[in-house]
Amino acid sequence: MPRLHRPTSLAEAARLLSTLDNPMVYGGGTAIQILVKQGILFADNFVDLAGVPGLRDVSVDAGGVTVGPMVTVRRMETDPEVRQVVPLASAAYRQVANPRVRNTASVGGNIAHGDYRLDPPTALLVLGATVRATSVRGTRDIPIREFFVDFQVTALEPDELVSGIRIPAQPAGASRFEKNSSLGENDWPCASASVLVAAGRVQIGLGAVAPTPRYVTFDAAGLDDQGAVDAALAAIEPALDPIPDVRGGVAYKRRLARVTVEDAVRGAWKDLQDA
Amino acid sequence: MREIEQSWVGGSRPRFDTAGRVRGMIAHVGDQAVGAAAHVAVHRATQPHARIEAVHVDEALAMPGVYGVVTGADLYKQLGDRLLTGPAFADQPALAHEKVRYVGEPVAAVLAADLATARAATDAIWVDYEDLPPVYDLADALAGTAYVHDELRPSSVFGDLKHLRGVRDTNVNYTYNLRTGDAEAARDAGAHTVTGEFWAPPTHHVPIELPCTIAWVDSGRLEMLTTTQTPSYVRQTIADLLDLPLSRVRVTTRPLGGSFGAKMYDRLEPLAAALAWTAGRRVRVTATREEAFLLTTRHGAAVSSSLTADAEGNLVSSVADVRYDTGAYADVGPRITAKSGMVAPGPYRIANARVLSRCVYTNKPSAGPFRGFGVPQVTWSHESLIDELAHELGEDPYAFRRRHLLREGDEAPMGTRMHSADFVGCLDAVANAIGWFDPLDRGTGRIRRGRGVAVGVKAVLTPTIANAVLQLNQDNSATLLISTVDMGQGSDTIMAQIAADVLRMDSRRIHVVRADTDATPYDTITAGSRSTYHTGNAVRRVAEAMRDKLIGLAAERFGVPAEEVSLTPDGPRAGSHEVTVAELVHGHFGARGATLTTEANYTSSWTPYDKETGRSDKVTEHWFAGAVGARIAVDTATGRVRIEHLAVAGDVGRAINPTLVEQQLSGAAIMGIGHALFDQLVLDQGQLINGTLLDYQLPSIRDLPDQLTPIVVESPHDDGPFGAKGVGETGILGVAPAIANAVRDAVGVRLTRLPLTPESITMALEENQ
Repeated sequence: MPRLHRPTSLAEAARLLSTLDNPMVYGGGTAIQILVKQGILFADNFVDLAGVPGLRDVSVDAGGVTVGPMVTVRRMETDPEVRQVVPLASAAYRQVANPRVRNTASVGGNIAHGDYRLDPPTALLVLGATVRATSVRGTRDIPIREFFVDFQVTALEPDELVSGIRIPAQPAGASRFEKNSSLGENDWPCASASVLVAAGRVQIGLGAVAPTPRYVTFDAAGLDDQGAVDAALAAIEPALDPIPDVRGGVAYKRRLARVTVEDAVRGAWKDLQDA
Repeated sequence: MREIEQSWVGGSRPRFDTAGRVRGMIAHVGDQAVGAAAHVAVHRATQPHARIEAVHVDEALAMPGVYGVVTGADLYKQLGDRLLTGPAFADQPALAHEKVRYVGEPVAAVLAADLATARAATDAIWVDYEDLPPVYDLADALAGTAYVHDELRPSSVFGDLKHLRGVRDTNVNYTYNLRTGDAEAARDAGAHTVTGEFWAPPTHHVPIELPCTIAWVDSGRLEMLTTTQTPSYVRQTIADLLDLPLSRVRVTTRPLGGSFGAKMYDRLEPLAAALAWTAGRRVRVTATREEAFLLTTRHGAAVSSSLTADAEGNLVSSVADVRYDTGAYADVGPRITAKSGMVAPGPYRIANARVLSRCVYTNKPSAGPFRGFGVPQVTWSHESLIDELAHELGEDPYAFRRRHLLREGDEAPMGTRMHSADFVGCLDAVANAIGWFDPLDRGTGRIRRGRGVAVGVKAVLTPTIANAVLQLNQDNSATLLISTVDMGQGSDTIMAQIAADVLRMDSRRIHVVRADTDATPYDTITAGSRSTYHTGNAVRRVAEAMRDKLIGLAAERFGVPAEEVSLTPDGPRAGSHEVTVAELVHGHFGARGATLTTEANYTSSWTPYDKETGRSDKVTEHWFAGAVGARIAVDTATGRVRIEHLAVAGDVGRAINPTLVEQQLSGAAIMGIGHALFDQLVLDQGQLINGTLLDYQLPSIRDLPDQLTPIVVESPHDDGPFGAKGVGETGILGVAPAIANAVRDAVGVRLTRLPLTPESITMALEENQ
């Protein structure tokens, strides 16, 4: 079993990450525990952030929301200010796993996991969030659209940890998060989509339909709802690169991606008209 | 109903242990402290089919905390061919000793001071293999170019398999034939024939509690605490394995946290016994969730079948070629092959029937018993066929079935008559429940609604033996000794209700002793929905013997003939004479705390089926009859099926405890929903690729029907205890075809492969366009 370290400051955490052999940041632990149990996660040292002060803070201002890495997924779902300022993100966090997992899983661990099927990255991509990464070399900001590099690979360096996420306030408009699984309802999604219709543009974040979460956007000026749907389906086409597995083949996953995006765009478009 | 009567037959007394199970206050086998024991972990095969050239254990042996490493060859040296065990064929070694036959087969066992050390040491074991041609599936197996076993080795348990001993060059270990009339000729002459190639995949039971076995040697006896549904069988197996008299083997259990067939026959027990005996140590063997997927599975089954009607719409021919994929070891596959093959035509009046049912070895994890015992796989075939035939004839699928269903006294195609099997009542009940006769809103846009029904029939395990011992305590409480294992189904509760009803006492004052082969009497197995009928009859008899004893004592005390004494909840009565049970027993023995003891047996009988025709005038003690009705909505864009209403009916003869019966029907139906929609073990070149709970799909609360209606149908059995029969499997039989038939009704596509994934539905819709 890996050794567990419990730093009490961010600086100490960064120092541990730079000096320990094969370390891994331990946030909520919901993914790590499963991977350890299955024997497919190989870390020699866990750096647990639970004892570092301030990492569970949420601060909201006119420009957006800044959240610490140890803020729970559940808090993003339920916090009234978060829901008001970044409703799309809140809607995506609301669909993660189940309440027990959401009560434990952390927002930092969620994106650091880098899994292509996760729900929150789809909304963070649309909202143009920034990931704050800290190491002994200092802190840098990584635009979320440059964060997911490859299959389960992020832009984080091995000695870096997620020390915060800044989500700009959602512009006036309408948004929807939709996801579909292909087997059990509660299974990993087979396709997910965050859609924001604002200022004449449609922005789409896609989950589970390519080795990384994907982002596409197009100008929707002058389009009606069907026109927007058609444009959205055309826009996502180059981004679709599904991985065939027990949950479905490429053709089915592409179909489900299109249905999911169509539902999300149509829903957001309707919300905009009804507003 | 008074409180005491609520605890008798027909009363919905809550399970006595519900709170303890939910709150974790009941100790399961894995919760037991084991003291100084060797913890066991297993090194598993990486090849599907290979000869073992060498097993390198030195590095593992050198690890601190490792007590020893045992290979199959080590065990074979000590035990010889006794190492090979199994309920039908003695073909499965506790550790592979010459070759491995599936990826994940145990090859070597590490004994260590703790489980983590043992598991770490298994990674330090290396095996040299010489690969053999793999037999991945039924097609490979029946092609007959590579063989999983060099020769067939029937066990001594079933005398009728003797003729198979030594048969070589085959992967078919058992064949059942049903020949009634001339089904092929009737098919060829018939006016309307529908055919299908059906497939039901292997699945896993996934009980909440993982298997665990603790074994030790005490005073020259092998003792064991284990998670098993079959303690009496395990005792015999261990006695054979170690060449010990039965009196020197003790098998005990704790309440199981679910099983569904996963904890039966030879699971961890032969390995634990062999290690404890040869090492002279207390050993604890357990399986991780991932390992549990490899221990046993439900048989994947292919059925090529047809159903034929004449010009008047009478059923004239049923033909089925059934292949059960039993994996690397036969387990109870041959029994499944016969018991399910004989009901492959379905519960219908059909003049001519032909079934060829085969049990086939492949290089996969072994398949064994699973709720339904192979019958859901053939129900998938016959309930799809009859539905399609109704559509072809332009008839209502409900009414068409109803016209042809077997009635009381009718002889089924395998030659046995129906009694206490109310198929019509079950079908009517589910059709009414889901609104079959009302107009259906067919849906708009991409949503399409449909309804489907299905009927199922299954024989109870026969012949079997049940025994019961009852000790009536002087304070009018009682201790009931039976070897039925309570896995959550509530057997300890209903057995107490049966005894209490006879004795006119409060069933909550009866303690049911957990199976312990040193104390509780022989009982064939807790499986096949047999306990309520068989053990229930033994319990009824043992209680009647006790009642007679009490009445005899009271008659003596009152000085009246026994016929004048009646037993009431307040004690024996005869005219103005009255005495409480406590006074009576105390008076008889002159001692506080004394006990009266009775014992009883119930054994069912059968007529073995004819080898050529597969027919028998009594192939089973009784029948299970069930029906399922489904109203569903298909999202034609995603292919997803939403079950709006599922109704499940079972003829239980008489419900000893109606609430527990409803829960069995509902639980079986929910398990069936998984099998219908997404539950399957996926193997690629012999490698299980979804054997974790992250990937393996089970129904969650969000997959449940909007409405689930269990319906108890009671057509009392002449010989059942109070007319009762079992119910554990009845509800699962028809779930998948009922849902598939509803999909057919909703969107016009007939799917023949389970599960009905959204992907398969959208593909079929696209092909249909």
